[in-house]
Amino acid sequence: MRRYLARRLLLALPLLLGVATLLFLLVEAAPGDPAEVLMSPGMTLEVRSQIRTNLGLDQPLPVRYARWMGSLLGGDLGFSHSYGSPVATVLKRALPNTLLLAGVSLVLAFVLGVGIGVVQAVRQNTMVDSGLNLLVLTFYSLPSFWLGIILILVFSYGAQSLWGWPLHFPASGVTSVDYDLMSLGGRIVDRVRHLVLPATTLVLVMAAGIARYARSGLLEVIRQDYVRAARARGLGRMQVLFRHALPNALLPLITVLGLYLPILFSGAVFVETVFAWPGMGWLMVEAVSSRDYPLILAGSLLFATLVVVGNLLADVLYAWADPRVRYD
Amino acid sequence: MRRFALFIAFLAFVAGCGDAPSPRAEAAAADPFCQGAMAAVDSFVASGAQAAPEDSRFGGTAVVGGIAEMVNGMNAFATIDYGANQYQQFVNLMTLVRLDEELVPQPYLAESWSLSEDGTELTFQLRNDVHWHDGERTDAHDVAFTFLRATDPETAFPNASFWDRYVPGPEGVEVLDDFTVTFRLEPHAEVLDPWRAMAIMPEHLLGEVPPGELAAHPFGTVCPVGNGPFVFVSHRPQERWVFQANPTFPAGLGGRPALDRIVYRVIPDQTTLLTELLTGAVDVYLSVRPDQAAAVVQDDDTRLEVFDPREFTFVGWNTRRPQLADARVRRAITMATDRSAVVQTLLRGYGIVAETGVPPFHWGHDPDLAGVDRDLEAARRLLSQAGWVDRDGNGVREDAAGLPLEVTVVYNAGNQDRQTIVELMASELREVGVALTPEGLEPGQLAARVTDPAVRDFDGIALAWVAEFRVDEKDLFHSERANQPWGFAGIGDPELDALLDTLQLVEKREDAVPLWHRYQERIVELQPFLYLFYSQKLTGITNRLQGVAMDSRGEFNSVRDWWIGDASGR
Repeated sequence: MRRYLARRLLLALPLLLGVATLLFLLVEAAPGDPAEVLMSPGMTLEVRSQIRTNLGLDQPLPVRYARWMGSLLGGDLGFSHSYGSPVATVLKRALPNTLLLAGVSLVLAFVLGVGIGVVQAVRQNTMVDSGLNLLVLTFYSLPSFWLGIILILVFSYGAQSLWGWPLHFPASGVTSVDYDLMSLGGRIVDRVRHLVLPATTLVLVMAAGIARYARSGLLEVIRQDYVRAARARGLGRMQVLFRHALPNALLPLITVLGLYLPILFSGAVFVETVFAWPGMGWLMVEAVSSRDYPLILAGSLLFATLVVVGNLLADVLYAWADPRVRYD
Repeated sequence: MRRFALFIAFLAFVAGCGDAPSPRAEAAAADPFCQGAMAAVDSFVASGAQAAPEDSRFGGTAVVGGIAEMVNGMNAFATIDYGANQYQQFVNLMTLVRLDEELVPQPYLAESWSLSEDGTELTFQLRNDVHWHDGERTDAHDVAFTFLRATDPETAFPNASFWDRYVPGPEGVEVLDDFTVTFRLEPHAEVLDPWRAMAIMPEHLLGEVPPGELAAHPFGTVCPVGNGPFVFVSHRPQERWVFQANPTFPAGLGGRPALDRIVYRVIPDQTTLLTELLTGAVDVYLSVRPDQAAAVVQDDDTRLEVFDPREFTFVGWNTRRPQLADARVRRAITMATDRSAVVQTLLRGYGIVAETGVPPFHWGHDPDLAGVDRDLEAARRLLSQAGWVDRDGNGVREDAAGLPLEVTVVYNAGNQDRQTIVELMASELREVGVALTPEGLEPGQLAARVTDPAVRDFDGIALAWVAEFRVDEKDLFHSERANQPWGFAGIGDPELDALLDTLQLVEKREDAVPLWHRYQERIVELQPFLYLFYSQKLTGITNRLQGVAMDSRGEFNSVRDWWIGDASGR
């Protein structure tokens, strides 16, 4: 296993370097640059040209590539002109927000999705199964931004202004404006309250997909001989289900986990926008709009790394969960 | 289950105390410049701090919500962003002059000024009681520094053309004493306007920064040091800016602002922003969408502030294209477009039809200008006169050589309003035999295709701009500027050139008004752009926030006088 891991990590390095080169060329090939996106009358060609010089964009492509790659290999991700800060600092601010939202959502989505899948499999072809199926398909097909807006209207605006519910949640942001003045306990509550609606949006959409996988996986497994044998040995229904059937049924979900990880980081952009959640997805959209090349490149490279890591993690988890799988 | 509960508790703990250091601490750690600057600000503000006056208006926090981050923040050398300019001019920094209700320049940082009889020397006498928030006095050296850097080609300030008629470089400015500075210039109109638009920047902090590095300097977004009524406290990118009252703001300018703090929150989704206003999480919602106005009006706790339009939306034509080279064709397109319907449907009536880029609040605006009315028959006649006839019966006109009258109008992909406008135009123009195709482009691609003089690969572009108080459309329409980025219309008209040259030179407004009127007539005749409408600015405000007076000068014009009428809450 260790040799396998070492080999995969070694292979990942040239892969990421290749991705970095490709990203650099793709960004270069895109029309427009930081000077051109400034749509201001009165700006002359000379000013545009000087902006390019100040940002180092007047250098030939190979020179810029060599500089960027040299800095990257030296651990310097460059300087974000739109944020006036080193790229590493900008990413360091956005990444924890995304980690928090994605991490909580992923865990809760798996718990909820697997739970629904189990109930559906156990109650196959009953009203419960059909009802949950309808619910799951509904959430699966809902656009996350729409669901987010509905949750805001109900649990923020409606709950507070229309119906006066005692419990309501903030519609946007990571913290309240008074966060810095709050006690530790107040901060925890404030953070959790702000997390509820965006996380619920992601959880509902993701859990629906996971439930589909869990249901079909479990239905396949409970027809296997070893499950029948366990029942024949007189084990209780729950014991058969949770000890013998479920662990095997969940194996395919490990692959899903590996795939969801990068999607959550980059694909939560709509949820981040609706809830004004200052994370990586929103950051990347802004970076592209302002043609902040170093930030686009560093962010994309981070996503590429997550894809590699996500897949590697899935493989490792697979081997851990299924003793039959051996990589050496 | 227990493990799950433990996990949630762990996450809550991480959420509460494991987050990044406070933005202020982060700024201080970012680099030595910020470390020194922020420490000095803290020290100076603490030394000037005093109990708020015994008046119920003092205290509280106002939260302002907007859809976009302030690009380049408080860096006046780099920003062209409307929102950031507002904060620079009215909140954190100061300009030399500010406009009154009649849009006449009044003293602000400059106590007085004088223009020599021949109009070649402009001298400002500054106030001597304005301090930067780190304790240094704001003086004439800062003003000279601002001018020199803003006009230095190496700085690449996008609005350097503000000072086109000032003598450039050190010869153009002289510091007479610490509070008196003189500029040399060609005689021209609106000589004070650059000093209304550009905030003064601190020489003692930025004087050693090479001009080419000013735009990306952390001063703008990490640790700004201003001299205005509010002191920078912190900035969490994509999240919020926090400012606090400046206790040392000169009494002669009204003294300490009534609010303790003003917070600007970035909330990109307008539905969410409206919810935050209606639930009281924000006090001011900048740029309410017209379709949201009714919700703000109907809510008992909010009100809608509607003020004079500055933003206008238009379709700019590329008159180099054979289909659009003839002014009669462009005029016919305007005649066939139902602009009033666009104002009623898209803006819900919160706007007026535009005829030119000279805004209604401008002193040179001609209220009696004969515009172009919707008239489909007249449009058809004009197109036929110009030689565009449907020769093959396919519903689209062609010229004698068989070139079809087809135009593509590009717009920012994702901008729903502009997409709607262009689609409406497409259906209306079909009625007169013009085939218009809408094409949404990513902003970078849009800019490259339109403003790069070597490319100019477009027929028409749907855009919206905020009109300035000093209108100078030379960059857009003068034949000399046709090969500059903004000369994309490519119009070449000797009379227009002459007017554009003259308008900026006539110093007395009463002498310039007839010329401005003729200029607008000529624009209507030539139709280089299809001016669609001026949209009124809508702002939602909670009733707890008082003292707000917004007009075309900007949302924050009266920010020093805002106060919280309801003591509950923040």
